[in-house]
Amino acid sequence: MNKKELFEKFHEIATHPETLMKRYIDEGKPVVLVAPVYTPEEIIHSMGCVPMGAWGADIQLNEAKRYFPAFICSIVQSILELGMKGVYKGASALVVPSLCDSLKCLGENWKYGVKDIPFIPMTYPQNRKPGYGHAFTKAGYERLISDLEKAAGKTFDDGALGESIRVYNDHNQAMRDFATIASKHPEVSASERSDVFKSATFMEKSEHTKLVRELIAYITEEEPAKSGTRILISGILADSPALNDIIDELGFTIAADDVAAQSRQYTVDAPDKAGNESNLDALVNKFCNMDNCSVLYDPDKKRVNMITNKAAFAEAQGVVVILTKFCDPEEFDYPLIKKACDERGLPCVLIEVDRQMENMEQARTMLQALKEMI
Amino acid sequence: MYTLGIDIGSTTSKCVILRDGKEIVAKSLVVAGTGTKGPKQSYEEVLSAAGLNESDIAFIMATGYGRTTFEKMNGEMSELSCHGKGVFFANPGCRTIIDIGGQDAKVISLTDSGSISNFVMNDKCAAGTGRFLDVMAGILMIGVEELEEYALRSASPVSISSTCTVFAESEVISQLSKNVNKDDLVAGICGSVASRVAALAKRAGIKEEVFMSGGVAQNGGVRAALSKELGVDVKYTDDAQYMGALGAAIAAFHEIDKGLQSGTDH
Repeated sequence: MNKKELFEKFHEIATHPETLMKRYIDEGKPVVLVAPVYTPEEIIHSMGCVPMGAWGADIQLNEAKRYFPAFICSIVQSILELGMKGVYKGASALVVPSLCDSLKCLGENWKYGVKDIPFIPMTYPQNRKPGYGHAFTKAGYERLISDLEKAAGKTFDDGALGESIRVYNDHNQAMRDFATIASKHPEVSASERSDVFKSATFMEKSEHTKLVRELIAYITEEEPAKSGTRILISGILADSPALNDIIDELGFTIAADDVAAQSRQYTVDAPDKAGNESNLDALVNKFCNMDNCSVLYDPDKKRVNMITNKAAFAEAQGVVVILTKFCDPEEFDYPLIKKACDERGLPCVLIEVDRQMENMEQARTMLQALKEMI
Repeated sequence: MYTLGIDIGSTTSKCVILRDGKEIVAKSLVVAGTGTKGPKQSYEEVLSAAGLNESDIAFIMATGYGRTTFEKMNGEMSELSCHGKGVFFANPGCRTIIDIGGQDAKVISLTDSGSISNFVMNDKCAAGTGRFLDVMAGILMIGVEELEEYALRSASPVSISSTCTVFAESEVISQLSKNVNKDDLVAGICGSVASRVAALAKRAGIKEEVFMSGGVAQNGGVRAALSKELGVDVKYTDDAQYMGALGAAIAAFHEIDKGLQSGTDH
């Protein structure tokens, strides 16, 4: 495949994951849906299943309103909507981490709204760093393994997990390399960048790594185009085609991101296991080593400085916070991010989005004004 | 040299013609916004008022929600930047602009040199916008331009607690059925808009002098309530509605100036 064909392939996967899901099921690989964020996909992968991201979709909500109130995150609402409409039919289970209140509600509602796909909770501790946080996380993983064995009819093997950890660490590195190269090559549009990240959530990771590596090789060979106005984007999601089109039309270059569905989840690798540790322990250490995310408890809010440092390193001239409407954890962090940006003289704008947004003109006005400010 | 700014909003179209980026030659306002004949009519009226032809205009800058749809424009700029330029041109002491338009509200912070340092916009919601006042005036069967007169007569404003326009509408109807004094009810309605916008303004940060722009600036009831909410004097000028178009005309002049300096022909 040439570069254009690779981007087309990523776009096809990002926009039609159902085709990929059917392929995996036809190949005899059970598909396990993974809701955001930080589901230990390595465990699912090691048990011979394919973890596929369930981040919802830009659809109208009808069925989900039977269970959810209006003022709740549209990601969880649209996941339930897709489930209730049968879009996920054939999946062996849905794993939902407990990292925000809305996700907790999703699991409970799923049990009633979608009877044919079992819900598996992944309960994480608030305090990850102390020993009891490790023990709690490990117990959660063991519960997940037990539930998966029942739901998908597969067995867990710690040796196989070691191999899956290697696959995921390789993929993390490929995604980090892609983000770096895309930052240096402004000809990679926001839409293309988004497709690469979004397809990663659906595709089996070794397959995706191979494609991303091919793409990186092509981009590296090219002379970088002239940079547009460089921005760092932050938020949970940044996959709206309309918003990405506006970012491209206004001549912005995404210098870096702090987006949960993009770079945030590829930041930390599972470390090598030490001494008598099992591979499962190594995976526990991965989660416990994580930081810099709105849904990971941190009284020091180190994430705020991470964002301004990342923006400075990537030579970003502004920060765009793409806030998913009704996302409390992100809303709590925004005033701190804004203050830190102001102190560094870094223009920062907040754009509120949701999965049902059809008119992005207000976002266009704000982004255009940001560009005019810079 | 003449430059023209056109501000195509949701409910009105405004034009301003500037001579040499300094002197307002003519202005026009048509109560019909984007997607209507309003922009064309406003454009024709301003040319006529200035006694100029299309060929006399060196650059046309469009702003407002309909800015990308005006065929005759040479460039377009966000209304945030244009309101900043317009208000600072007319009032160089201004450091905070509160612009309440037909369908949104914006608060813009300016530096000492008039550049934008920060801005916030309201959510997709009619609360705290001109639309809210239109709806309420409709229920009360009075003109929106009469709201000020009623509000300023009030001795004891009624509290309108609902954020949502639809809920506030039923709240107002409920007050009407209790025969509440209309002056107090209108003052409560103006206060409701002011409290929503004040919350937005506090998010951006208030630095004096504070000026209002946009159509709602004409409403003394809202201005008074806003001054009270913010604890600062909220000023306005008679041309408050033209500030976006004025800023666009200034930006048009800068484009020509930039072109002349770089040798580019517009």
